[in-house]
Amino acid sequence: MATPASAVLLRNEIEARIPAAFSFCTRQHRGSIPTGIASIDDAVRGIPLHALTEICGSNLASSGKTSLVMSLLARATQQDNFCALIDGQDAFDPASAEASGVNLSRLLWVRCGKTKQKLKPLEQAFKVADMLVQSAGFGLIVVDLCDFPERLVRRVPHTSWFRFSRVVERQPTALVFLEREPHATSCAGLVLSLKSRPAVGKGNLFTQCGMEAGILRTLERKPPQAVRPLFSLRSQWAA
Amino acid sequence: MFACLYLADFPVQAVLRCEPEQRRELLTQSGIVILEGSASNNRVISLNDAARQLGIELGMTKLQAQSCGSVLAHQRNLQSEDAAQAALLDCARMFSPRVESTAPGVVIVDVDGTEKLFGPLQRLAARILEQSREFGFCMNVAIAADPDSASCAARSWEGITIIPQGREAQFLGRLPVEVLSPAPEVLDTLEAWGIRNLGALAELPSVPLVERLGQEGLRLQKLARAETSRTLILAELNDEFLENFEFEDPVESLDSLSFILNRLLQQLCTRLLARALATNELRVRLDFEVHQLQTEAKEEVYERVWKLPLPVSDAKVLLRLTCLELEGCSFFAPIKRLTVQATPVKPRASQGGLFAPATPQAEQLEITLARIRGVVGREDENRMPCVGSPRTVDSHYSGSFAVHAFSSEHAVAGLCIERPVVALRKFRPALETKVEFREKPHSVMLGKRSLAVLAASGPWSTSGHWWNHSAAWAHEEWDVALKTSDGPGLYRIYFDRMRTQWFIAGMFD
Repeated sequence: MATPASAVLLRNEIEARIPAAFSFCTRQHRGSIPTGIASIDDAVRGIPLHALTEICGSNLASSGKTSLVMSLLARATQQDNFCALIDGQDAFDPASAEASGVNLSRLLWVRCGKTKQKLKPLEQAFKVADMLVQSAGFGLIVVDLCDFPERLVRRVPHTSWFRFSRVVERQPTALVFLEREPHATSCAGLVLSLKSRPAVGKGNLFTQCGMEAGILRTLERKPPQAVRPLFSLRSQWAA
Repeated sequence: MFACLYLADFPVQAVLRCEPEQRRELLTQSGIVILEGSASNNRVISLNDAARQLGIELGMTKLQAQSCGSVLAHQRNLQSEDAAQAALLDCARMFSPRVESTAPGVVIVDVDGTEKLFGPLQRLAARILEQSREFGFCMNVAIAADPDSASCAARSWEGITIIPQGREAQFLGRLPVEVLSPAPEVLDTLEAWGIRNLGALAELPSVPLVERLGQEGLRLQKLARAETSRTLILAELNDEFLENFEFEDPVESLDSLSFILNRLLQQLCTRLLARALATNELRVRLDFEVHQLQTEAKEEVYERVWKLPLPVSDAKVLLRLTCLELEGCSFFAPIKRLTVQATPVKPRASQGGLFAPATPQAEQLEITLARIRGVVGREDENRMPCVGSPRTVDSHYSGSFAVHAFSSEHAVAGLCIERPVVALRKFRPALETKVEFREKPHSVMLGKRSLAVLAASGPWSTSGHWWNHSAAWAHEEWDVALKTSDGPGLYRIYFDRMRTQWFIAGMFD
């Protein structure tokens, strides 16, 4: 059995050969893209570049996750970034995006699962995400996995998430996954969970939706559980 | 001063220039002959030095040529020769715009006034020779004060020959009379007189020569004395960038095809760059070897045109794009001929901002998009592209959209909207549903569950294409808040009056 003294010797020997073997890798905040929603931007300083972000919300109730991503795309394209949206089940609505302020000429839309291919739609989405992350030049890449059954997304190996986080670490890109539940665990730099509040109407019209964001993980420190940014989104016709 | 660019054994060089570089070197060392004529009367019309050393001569049949030793026999390809001549002209135009296409494999360039650009004549000739190697040629270059002297010298001496002004007759005097390509009967007469070189021909008295050989004799003598003077007949600019290759043995795999495709694209790009051009449209044609016994009537030709969103002049990018596009195709027969044609356009000129965010590199982006198309497919069942930039369409129909080609070059400035709005997640196609309706929606079936409607807003009637019965549509839209297990869900449902059926169009999320 190794004694503490021999463990120290062993450690010293390893450190002599590999100096960074026992040092901690500290993540630094290296820029972000604002979401355009003040309460979220105040709480998390926008969606971080060089990191993987998960935005989660229910698939049955209106959680605001798609609206948040549209607002993020709008901000990113207005800052002259090129963005990509990998649409797992072809749910993207160009009219909503335009109403949110997305510059559509700066957006690449990839519609998965529309033709018979060797790969299944979920595999297509991951493969395309990999290609785009590797190709560089996109400021924001959004992968929409919301409409896939949860059991399929859960089967994605952890190594895939790890690989994405390592690749995007070297790129000035924000990689955002839109899901029902978080899956990337420690590979994610930021995890937001969104919930809906009752919609507000005026006469015969819905004019506003209230939302609540929970911060499950951030890059720098343990997220304060008490901070739950509230925000409201206007309907297109009311805005 | 005039420079003559001469390709010896032009038909052989026209075939060799389309071969990959290593194979070209191998073939140059081994014998290669070009044949012309019907299968029963194939005759050698051109051969390289290695074939000459084996004892092969012009006019031999294929059988006779092959009995002399191991040689590669190629059928004459006039299209390749045209492309080679066009490439030779493009090579010459890199040094002067005044270019004459004198004969197949012979081009004369007026190089007067190019000293400031290219230096002395020796350096100019060296640069022409260097440039010709990029085009896949092995040529002779001769510079003289008149075009005919330059032509004679280029045909006679290998490499670079520069004839000082005023000493043309002295230089050409050593050359045999055959250099002037006289008529056979004139050549016989001159031989009978003992006139074997141009020096001897130049010294003959002119009047008796005309009396005996006519104007042809005088023309030959003037050429021998370098006393001719003529203006160049300038070649017109050829905007056809076409290369083709005929395989000795038909190929079946894309790997084998890509070697030759690479070479042809390199040749095209070299020509385009020589003219400061690029291409935004590539046409690839594959001719299949279809046997008569095949009963299925299938097309013998595969032709495809690719429009590129930006002008490209990089052979590697074009090769990757073409290979990625061809990967998805399946061919029923071996390929016997490959033709590639490029449409010339002006190259793009762009200036990136120093502080602007990084943008995808245009050529690399095209390759990435082609690879993505290989993963997700090109078009859906409605012929809408699966990869591209979305666009809204000016239509009352809520589901209409368009997909344009995505390019980092053509982005435009967008509107600046500060306030985020609720976005709709579309269900494509719309989900059929059942709605309990009591003046307004009371409950909606979502999957297998009936969900109570908390609030409803509507109806909003829309319709269109009423003049076309097959495309007519009429909807009554409702925005409903449903009570789900996860909280309130805001959905858009509509009643299709043409089909009398309820649908869920999407969810506000």
